[in-house]
Amino acid sequence: MKNILKIFKNKIHLLLAIIVFLIVEVYCDLTLPSYTADIVNLGIQNTNFNIITTTGINMMIMVIISVLATIVVSYFSSIVSASFGRDLREIIFEKILSFSNHELNEFSRASLITRSTNDVHQLQNVMGMIFRTLLFAPILAVGSIIKVFEIGSSLSWIIFLAFISVAVLLMLVIYNVVPYFRRTQEIVDDINRKSREILIGIPVIKAFVRQEHEKKRFDKSNQEYLKVNLRVYRIMFILIPMMNLIMNLMIVIILYFGAFDALNGQLLTGDIIAFVQYSTQMVASFIMIGGFTIMLPRILVSARRIEEVLDTEITIQDGRSNIENNQSGEEIIEFRNVSYTYPGAESETLHDINFSLRTGKTTAIIGGTGSGKSTILNLIPRLQDTTSGEILLNNINIKDYPLKTLRSKLSLAPQKAILFSGTIKSNLLKGKENATIDEMYNAIEIAQASEFIDDLDMEVSQGGSNFSGGQQQRISIARSIIGSHEFYLFDDCFSALDVNTEYKVRNKLKKITQDSSVLIVSQRISTIKDADEIIVLDKGEIVDKGTHQQLKERCSIYQEIISSQLENIGDVL
Amino acid sequence: MRPDRLMSQKPTDMKKSFKQVLSLLKDYKLKLIITFICAVISTSFTVISPILIGKATTTIYDGLTLLYKNQGTIDLNMLFNLLILASILYIISAIFTYLQSWFLTQISTNISYSLRKRLIEKVNSLALKDVDEKKRGDILSRITNDVDSLQTGITSTFIQFMTAIITIVGVFIMMLSINVILTLITVVLIPIAVLIMSFVIKRSQRYYKEQLNYKGQVNAHIEETFGGQDIIRVFNQEEDSIKSFKQDNNKMYEYEWKSQFYSSLLGPIMNFISNLEYVVIAVIGAIFVLQKAIMVGDILAFFQYIQNFTQPIQQITRVINLVQTALAATERIFEFLELEEEDDSATLIIDDIYDAIIFENVKFAYEDEDYVINDLTLKADKGEKIAIVGHTGAGKSTIVKLLMRFYDINSGEIKIDNVNIEEINKNSLRSMVGMVLQDTWLFNGTIRENIRYGNLDASDSEVEQAARIAYADDFIKQLPDGYDTILNEDTDNISIGQKQLLTIARTVLSDKKILILDEATSSVDTRTEKLIQDAMDKLMENKTSFIIAHRLSTIKNADKIIVLDEGKIIEQGTHNELISINGGYYKSLYNQFEAEGFVS
Repeated sequence: MKNILKIFKNKIHLLLAIIVFLIVEVYCDLTLPSYTADIVNLGIQNTNFNIITTTGINMMIMVIISVLATIVVSYFSSIVSASFGRDLREIIFEKILSFSNHELNEFSRASLITRSTNDVHQLQNVMGMIFRTLLFAPILAVGSIIKVFEIGSSLSWIIFLAFISVAVLLMLVIYNVVPYFRRTQEIVDDINRKSREILIGIPVIKAFVRQEHEKKRFDKSNQEYLKVNLRVYRIMFILIPMMNLIMNLMIVIILYFGAFDALNGQLLTGDIIAFVQYSTQMVASFIMIGGFTIMLPRILVSARRIEEVLDTEITIQDGRSNIENNQSGEEIIEFRNVSYTYPGAESETLHDINFSLRTGKTTAIIGGTGSGKSTILNLIPRLQDTTSGEILLNNINIKDYPLKTLRSKLSLAPQKAILFSGTIKSNLLKGKENATIDEMYNAIEIAQASEFIDDLDMEVSQGGSNFSGGQQQRISIARSIIGSHEFYLFDDCFSALDVNTEYKVRNKLKKITQDSSVLIVSQRISTIKDADEIIVLDKGEIVDKGTHQQLKERCSIYQEIISSQLENIGDVL
Repeated sequence: MRPDRLMSQKPTDMKKSFKQVLSLLKDYKLKLIITFICAVISTSFTVISPILIGKATTTIYDGLTLLYKNQGTIDLNMLFNLLILASILYIISAIFTYLQSWFLTQISTNISYSLRKRLIEKVNSLALKDVDEKKRGDILSRITNDVDSLQTGITSTFIQFMTAIITIVGVFIMMLSINVILTLITVVLIPIAVLIMSFVIKRSQRYYKEQLNYKGQVNAHIEETFGGQDIIRVFNQEEDSIKSFKQDNNKMYEYEWKSQFYSSLLGPIMNFISNLEYVVIAVIGAIFVLQKAIMVGDILAFFQYIQNFTQPIQQITRVINLVQTALAATERIFEFLELEEEDDSATLIIDDIYDAIIFENVKFAYEDEDYVINDLTLKADKGEKIAIVGHTGAGKSTIVKLLMRFYDINSGEIKIDNVNIEEINKNSLRSMVGMVLQDTWLFNGTIRENIRYGNLDASDSEVEQAARIAYADDFIKQLPDGYDTILNEDTDNISIGQKQLLTIARTVLSDKKILILDEATSSVDTRTEKLIQDAMDKLMENKTSFIIAHRLSTIKNADKIIVLDEGKIIEQGTHNELISINGGYYKSLYNQFEAEGFVS
C-alpha cells in the first residue's frame, strides 16, 4: 500500500484542513440536542421565553457554521480525491512506460490497461466516501460519546448493546454473502463469455442449425445467475431493516430505563431527548463504518492490483552514460552466443544465436511462426534482454549504452503496424521529431503511401483503424525511415502488402538504406531472397546461413519453405 | 467499458420506454401488489411509531412535573405499554420492509433473467447482417450492461421511490395530526431545498459531462500508449508521451473536482435544511408547549419526522438519475428485441441433393447499389470441386454466404436441384452444408464437446473416428487430457492450425452433402498446413465442394476454377483450360509465377 499512500504526502495540509473542518461541523451539529435539552429543561419547565429564544439564536448560529464547514470539507475533499486520481494515474502511466517486455509479458497489456483505468477509478470513487465515512463517522462517534458522558447517566450500556448487535449483524451478513460474491463474479464472466461466443459464432451456429442448443447452453448460466443473485440480494437486504430496527429498539429501551433514572433524579426530560439523539448519531456512524467494511474487500483488490504494478522492479536499466561516439564510420551489431528464455517457459526460445549486422549489408531472417524471429529483433533495442550471451554494438555490450543512445541508432517497423490517433503528420513525427515537410513527403513516397495520403493532416483514428492493414504497414514503414538511422529493423512489416507493392517499396528502400544495415524478418521467400545473408531459423536455432542460391541448394528447411510458398498462387490472383 | 451510472443517459422517448418497463412488469401483477402492500404496511408503521415515542416522552415529562410538585409520579404502566406497542410496530415494520425487498428482488432478477434469455434468443434468430462484427460490442453491452442497469433501476429505484412517496405522504399526515402550523413551517422549506438542489445537480452534470469527455481521452491515451509501447520506446518518445498524457490528465482533474464538489454539496444542503427545521421546531415547538398547543413529547416526535421527511426527498433527487439511466437502458434493450427476425417461412424440407447447384445472374450488395457480386452465373454439378480464386475483396466468401442464405440476393436466382433456395426452409438448407472457415470458431469447452458440435448425438468413438479422419487425433492424444482437454477462454491453448483441424473434424462428423472450405494461408506452419490440406481433400471426396483456394495443388486438382474480380467471374474452367487462354488473366499470372521461379 506504500506507493499509493505516498501520494497523500503532499496533500497532508489538505487532509488536516478536512479533519479540522469536519470537527467543526460535528461539534456544531452535536450542540443542537443539548441546546434542545436546555430548551426543554430550562425554558419549558420554568416557562422562560427568553431562554427559548436566545437558545434558538445560538442554535441558528451553529447550524450556519456547520453548513459552511461542510461546504469547505466538500471543497477540499473533492480536490483531494480528484487529485489523488490524477496523481495515481500519472504515476502508473510513467511506471508502465518504463516497463520492458519482461514486465509487460508478466502482466499482459489488457490487464495493465484495466489497472490504470478501472482500478484507479474504483479507488478514486472510494476516496470521496472515505471522507464522508471513514473520517466523519469516528469524529461523530467520539463527539457523541463525549456528549453522552456530559449528560452523565447509567444508560451507556444500551448504546454498547446496540453496537454489539450491529457488529454481529454485519459479521453474519458478510460471512454469509462474501462466498457468493466470488461466485457471482464468475457467473457474470461466464455469461459475458457465452454471449460473446454466441455473437462471434453466429455463422457457425446457423450453419450447424444449433440455435436451440446455444439457447440451452446460455440458459444454464442464466439460471444460475438468477439463483445466486436472489440469494445474495436476500441476504443483503436483511441489513437495512435490521439496522433500523436495532436503532429504534435502542430508543425504546433508552426511554424505558431513562424514566427510572429520571425518577432517581439523575436525568431530566430534556436530557433523555438529547440522549436519544446522541445515541442515534453514534449508532448511525457505526453503521456507516460497517457499510464501508462491506466494500473494503473490493477496494483492496483494486489497490493490490495497482500496487503490483507500482512495485514491479524494472529489469532493463540504463547503461553508463559516457560512451564515446564511434569514429571509424562502420557500425556493427554482433550477436555472440545469444540465448533467450521467456520467463516461466521451460524451453529456450532462442538458442546460441551468432550473426552480425554490418553497414551496407542486408541481413534477413526467415522461419515459421514461433521460430523466434521477432524475439531476435526485440533484443536489439533492448525491449528485452538476453538470457545468456551478449549483443555488441561496435564491440561494446549494448547493455553499457544509455538506452537513448542505443535506440537513437535504430529504427523499427513492427509486423503489426502500430499507429497513434492524431494525424499522419503526428505519426511521422514520432520517427523524427523535427522532420521537415519535404522529409515527410519523401518518406511517404518511398513507402508507396502517396497513393492514399494526399494530406499530412489526414486524420488517423485510434489504432489506425481508418486505414487498411496494408496502408497501416506503409505508414509505419514511412515512420521508420524518416529519420536516418544506422540500423533498420523490419519485422515482417511487408506481410499485408501485395507482391507488387512490396517489390516497389523494397526497391526504393535500397537507396536510403545503402549506408546503413538492414535486418528484415519475413515468412515470405520473395521478400528476402535478395538479401546479402539469409539466416534460416527453426525452433530458436540457426540452421543455416547463406545466400538464396546457396540455401536453395543445401538447406532442406529452406527448400521446404520455398515449396510451400510457391503454391500460394490463389493469393495473388 | 461500462457506461457510468451517474451520467443521466436520457431516453429519447420517455413515455414509450416507461410503457416498456410496465410491459415487463405485467407478468408480475400479484407480486407487485404484494410488494406494494408490504411497502404500505412497513412505512405506515414506521410513520406511526414516533407518535408513540413522543407520547412516551410526554408521559415521562408529565410524571416528572407531577413528581416535582409532589403530586404523583411517572405512570410506568402507561410508559411500558406505549413502548411495547412501539417495539411491536417497529418489528412488524422491519419484517414487512424485508418482505417487500424479498418480492421486489424476485421480480427484478426474474425480469433480467428473462430479458437476457430473450436477447440471446433474438441474437440466434436475427439475420446475419444485424449481428455483424461492427455491432457485436453494442449488442454485448445491451445483454450485459443495459440489463444490469435496468435491474438495479427496478430494484433500488422502485423500492426507494415507492417508500419515499409513501413516507412523505404518511409523515405529512402524522405531522398535521400533531400541529398544523409546525407542519407548514416544515413543508415550506422543502421546495426551497429542491430548487437549490436541482441547480446544484445541473451544475455538477455539466462538469460531469466534460469530465467524461476527458476521461475517455485519458483512457484512449492509456490504451494506445500501452499498445504501442514498443514504438514509443524504440523511437525514444517516452517523455513526449508523458507530457501529452499529463495535459489530458490535468484537464480531466479540473472538471472532475468541480463535478465532484457540486454533487457532494447535495448532502450538506439537505443536512442544512433539516438542521434548520430542527432549530425552528425546537424553538417554536417549545413556545407551543408553553401555550399548551402541543406536548413536550411531540417535539421529539417532530424531530423524528423531519428526518423521515428530508431523507426521502434526498433519495428521490438522487434516484431520478438512476431512473433515467434505467429507462434509457430499457429503450436500448427493446430497440434490439424489436428488430425484425430472419424470415424462415419457407417450408420445403430437403435431406439430400441429387443434381447441380446453380447461380443465375446473381447480384448482391451489402449496402445500396454497391454490388459485391455482380451478375454471377455458375454451375456446380453434383460431386464437383469448385475452386474460387481472386484478390481479397473480390467477393469469394460472399458467394459462400449467399449459398448459406446468410444474406439474401438482390436479383437473380440460386437453385439446388432446380429449386430456388428461397423456397427451401433455411435450417433445412443449412443442414445440407458444412463450412470450414479460416476464422475458426470453437467454444470454451472440451475438445470432445467441440467436435461433437457437428452431430450432437454422436458417440465418443464416432467423435474419435472423425478426429482420425481429420488428422486431429494425433495432436489431441498428445495433449495432457486428450479429448477432455478444455479449450481455454480465448481458445489459445492450441495452435491456429490445430483449431482448424478440429473444425474439420467437426464437419466430418456432421456429414454434410455440400462443403464450403476456406484454405489455410500463411499463419500455419508447413507441416500442419499439409495435414489440413490432406484432411480437407478427404472431407471433399464425393461431395459438391466450394473451396476458396490459395494453393496451386488444390487449384490444379479442382474440377472447375473460378477467377473472381469485383464480383464477376472473369474466367472459369479447369487449370489446363485456363492456361491455354491467350492473354487470359489466370495464364498471365501463372506465367509470372513461373518466371519468378515460384513454380518449380
